[in-house]
Amino acid sequence: MKFSFFHLMPYPYLPDDFDTAYDSSALTYPNANFDPKLGSALYARYLDELEYADKLGFDGIAVNEHHQSAYGLMPSPNIMAAALTRRTERARIMVLGNAIGIRGNPLRVAEEIAMLDLLSGGRVDSGFVRGIGWEYFAHSINPTKSRARFDEAHDLIIKAWTSEEMFSWYGANYEYRYVNIWPRPLQSPHPPVYIPGAGSTETMKFCAAHRYTYMSVYAPTRIVRRWFDGYRQAAADLGYVPDPERIAFSVPVYVADTDSRAHAEARPALEWLYHRGLKQTPEMVTPPGYMSPGSLRGVLMSGMQGFRTQSYEDLLAAGQAVVGSPATVAARLRSLYDELGGFGQLIGLFAIGPSTHEQVTRSAELFATEVMPELRPLGVATDATSA
Amino acid sequence: MPYDTPIEEYVELAGGRVHMFRGGTGEPLLFLHAAGGAGTWLEFHGRLADAGFEVLAPDHPGFAKSDDFPLVEAMDDLVYHYLDLLDALRLDRVHLVGASFGGWIAAELAVAASHRLRSVTLLSAAGLRLPDHPVPDLFLMPPTRLAETLYHDPPPAPEGSAAGPDIDAVLAAYRDSTALARFCWAPYLSNPKLERRLHRVSVPALVVAPSDDRLIPVAHARRYAALIPGARFTEVPDSGHAMYFERPAEFAAAVTGFLQSSPSGPSRASRGGSLSGADQ
Repeated sequence: MKFSFFHLMPYPYLPDDFDTAYDSSALTYPNANFDPKLGSALYARYLDELEYADKLGFDGIAVNEHHQSAYGLMPSPNIMAAALTRRTERARIMVLGNAIGIRGNPLRVAEEIAMLDLLSGGRVDSGFVRGIGWEYFAHSINPTKSRARFDEAHDLIIKAWTSEEMFSWYGANYEYRYVNIWPRPLQSPHPPVYIPGAGSTETMKFCAAHRYTYMSVYAPTRIVRRWFDGYRQAAADLGYVPDPERIAFSVPVYVADTDSRAHAEARPALEWLYHRGLKQTPEMVTPPGYMSPGSLRGVLMSGMQGFRTQSYEDLLAAGQAVVGSPATVAARLRSLYDELGGFGQLIGLFAIGPSTHEQVTRSAELFATEVMPELRPLGVATDATSA
Repeated sequence: MPYDTPIEEYVELAGGRVHMFRGGTGEPLLFLHAAGGAGTWLEFHGRLADAGFEVLAPDHPGFAKSDDFPLVEAMDDLVYHYLDLLDALRLDRVHLVGASFGGWIAAELAVAASHRLRSVTLLSAAGLRLPDHPVPDLFLMPPTRLAETLYHDPPPAPEGSAAGPDIDAVLAAYRDSTALARFCWAPYLSNPKLERRLHRVSVPALVVAPSDDRLIPVAHARRYAALIPGARFTEVPDSGHAMYFERPAEFAAAVTGFLQSSPSGPSRASRGGSLSGADQ
């Protein structure tokens, strides 16, 4: 099992009347509520936490991209990754990922990831995401083109990284007469690719076909199980069994010395994450054309409900957060491992909503020293399962 | 009771099938529906038919029962799509009536191909980009806000069903909204070049605005009327943007009154005749 420390870099200081006064923490939530002085201090603190995770022995430290939102303060994950390259030694620097569905110029992404790969000495993992619903409003990108833009940008970036000859690109969405990137990435053939999935069968097949790591987004265990099985089936259809490491389970994790202390501290943090940070209207979640008819039907049939209807207890029961003492957390993750049919990477969100710096670092320390060793042997490819 | 027994038919084009209602007899009248008006024959259509027109009401690409036509990607493609439809129907010249999103298509068709029209009527047409009179974002509105925006006098919200949402109905609505977004996400519901092209419209034109349009401000209709040579302008009182849903009789009367009073002979300008490959 490999473990990474994932950061969203939230802006936790929401006003007291947030629940009644605002539809969402994103898109239309006025940026008058953002205090740049507090934001600057948050960046320093959050980078310290990621750097500390490297020292604690996490295999990866992860950042991601969000726009116009208090949920996550990283419009450019590559800038944060660049900051991390010079202050960390060992951990993979995981960009999970660049939202290539909404980028105007995907060649720029190929160039920046190549730069990061050189800066980090070949430690970069490159996630690609479509960008979530509200970001198609925020960046004025037509959501009906989302899938096509994502697919074409991906193909272009991979070719730009791997081609040693200048080439021209004529696609439905992008045209370049000269593709000839300098620098080229350090890792060969290119940095490992991660793709988050949220139930779309297109994404499962895409990941399986390219042997990319398929990572879950936050959802109830029974639904994540269906996604992981879908990915395993897509690989089986192609005649192989995926390395467990190609399946990554993402979940918020909070560890404290005792169960009671962990729950007391995690409850407000997780309620912030699911009820405020992720507060969105249905129109923001699925702008027109963002989902294929088949995927939308799947979501509707699954009966998945909005996070707001889930209490803290519901979230724990559904495997959308793992909280407790080190022993409790290790046991719970073991049972989730079984319920999900196995996975080889755990992407933990340790800095949850308004958690304090002391809480986050203590939780990460306990996890690294007491939970990781317990779980380390799980999810490792054996000769029987190796692809 | 207005005419309510239209024929439902499918017209084969190269890119797929167009679903269309056809009703009434007389000069052909092509009606281009609003974003929310696909797949329906309403009192409004019946009243147009009763006034002595053969009303042709197709669903736009990707809407209701028409095929997706994935290669019809943008407004310029939609213009060619409707010229293809006129060719397939062997119609030389039609009265063209369009509402809201359909009104935008009608305006673009009139710019590109007035020689295929006898007249054009725009019912609170989208299509103009007037930053001082912005159109609120349809795609971000929850259903109750949408009803309040579309109607002068919003109907009561439908009661939720105990069985939960009808998945097929949700998917059908999502398909219509996906088709709309394909053509108008950005630039939003407009073609910034349309204004400078409206001088090309060379058939009799009527612009109709509902008095209380909370979606497309009446300034848009007034701009259309100012820029289309010789266009007439009229307002229908006590109506919101839902127009022919909210005030079908009044909107039908505005349209038929204009069509019956205006000359429907050859277009005033003769340009295009020798250049029009589409003309049959």
